[in-house]
Amino acid sequence: MSGEAGTGEDVASEVTGRPVIHDGRPEPGTAHIVGTIVRRELRTVARTRSFLLLGAALTAVLLGVGWLGGGLRSGYVPTAVDLLTPLELLVPVVAVAFGYRAVLGDQRRGELDVLRTYPVASWQIVAGVYVGRAVGLVVAVLAPLAVVGGAVAVVEHDTAIIYATHAGADSPLLYARMVVLTVLFALVVLAVAIAISAVASATRSALALAVVALVVLLVGADLALVYGLSAGILGDGSLIHALALSPLSAYRGLVLETAVVVAAGTGPQTAAPLSSLLGLALWWLASLSIAAYGVERA
Amino acid sequence: MTATTPLLEASNVNRSYGDVDVLEGVSLTVDAGEVVALIGPNGAGKSTLIRVLTGIESPTAGSVDYGGPETARPVGYLPQQPAFRPGFTALETLAYYGSLVGDDERVAREGLARVGLEAAADRPVEALSGGMTRLLGIAQATVGEPPVVVLDEPGSGLDPGMSVHVFEVAAALADEGRGVLLSSHDLELVERNADRVVLIDGGRIVEEGTPAEITGRRDAPSLLDAFERAVAGDAGTVRLVEGSP
Repeated sequence: MSGEAGTGEDVASEVTGRPVIHDGRPEPGTAHIVGTIVRRELRTVARTRSFLLLGAALTAVLLGVGWLGGGLRSGYVPTAVDLLTPLELLVPVVAVAFGYRAVLGDQRRGELDVLRTYPVASWQIVAGVYVGRAVGLVVAVLAPLAVVGGAVAVVEHDTAIIYATHAGADSPLLYARMVVLTVLFALVVLAVAIAISAVASATRSALALAVVALVVLLVGADLALVYGLSAGILGDGSLIHALALSPLSAYRGLVLETAVVVAAGTGPQTAAPLSSLLGLALWWLASLSIAAYGVERA
Repeated sequence: MTATTPLLEASNVNRSYGDVDVLEGVSLTVDAGEVVALIGPNGAGKSTLIRVLTGIESPTAGSVDYGGPETARPVGYLPQQPAFRPGFTALETLAYYGSLVGDDERVAREGLARVGLEAAADRPVEALSGGMTRLLGIAQATVGEPPVVVLDEPGSGLDPGMSVHVFEVAAALADEGRGVLLSSHDLELVERNADRVVLIDGGRIVEEGTPAEITGRRDAPSLLDAFERAVAGDAGTVRLVEGSP
């Protein structure tokens, strides 16, 4: 701690220069520390009724959309088409709800300050919080989609094809692709929400930042792409790659490309899958990096 | 560590926020087995000094050196307003912190017993009284058996009986061989329990010694009188250091 007072971890490593022993036992490793934080987050998620309500509401909305849109009776791909737009709106809302106070609450209670006297690094806090919340979020997103998928299996029949987009080959595998991509999208938005939580200094500002992030994710990035296209900044050929810059566009394009268009056999290319996946990965990584920086600076 | 090496030593610590110098040239030590009380008017810089000593904030200049034994957690810390994540019991909360240093639930129960909270082990933290929350905070501050325990106003807002209990817990920690540094405005309890007192005013140390030494130097019948003479004309007001907005 000489020169500058550091965290408990700094102190331990600087003083000893050797593996730290505590009461004859080795200091817990990264897996143990992150696992401890993950378990705490899982308990928090399990004990927070609003998360359960969010999952139930999402299930009801998706079932309703699937039923009213006719997708449930028409098959898996028609259901995926029906659900795509609601998912674009609702998944970010649910993900932000899971994450926007995750770090902020600990910061406001002073628990982050206390954690600085423990051998816990900022990135370990972020990793633990993220993984714990992610497990809850995946359940909250996966369960409604599984219920809807199960409903398709029960009520699907070959007649009553209402929309043109409902034509073509159908397969639960294509629906499963949409589900996987939706979960990936949710995890990216959760990372954004955790970053917001880590850099916000008050609940009100966290909520405001969350709203801004939602607007940017849902509208701003897409509008920027439209502007870029209309202003000639983006060429027609580069559009499908530029879509990867927006998490929402990347998600939408991936679902259309891998779960919908493919069912018809032919059609215009709606996304560059590799670019879109890379775009989502960069949003995820950048957000978690910002979160770790925010916790360090908190 | 030698017999003369302090567990914690601050040397010429400065801490500024922009143009505001909150701490100026503060040097102090905390030795094993002693209770060091940090006293001073509101705004004197006590909490800032505590945050620097615990490593939560870095000094602008100077250094803080830990000279105790190798351990996972050299310095334990009780914040001025301890709070815990709601929805968890006292035992779960302490077990969480304990797990971060490799302790198990048995150790967490022992930690609760140390501060007299074993009967409230299964009570949710949001259902704890202010005093019980502070005791849980002290138990948290001792997680990992840190050689140095820093308590920021552990008796603040507590009834007299609970305040006495909190100071007794601090003294017991020192009896176990730890160095305890605490800040407090309860000068009667400080005089009764502290081995050494550090009076800070305007970001500087203006008095240091045993309660008897300080009262003797100030020719005061009590630590409270000595305090009032040391900060003459300022008692009862909030102190702002030079440059404060």
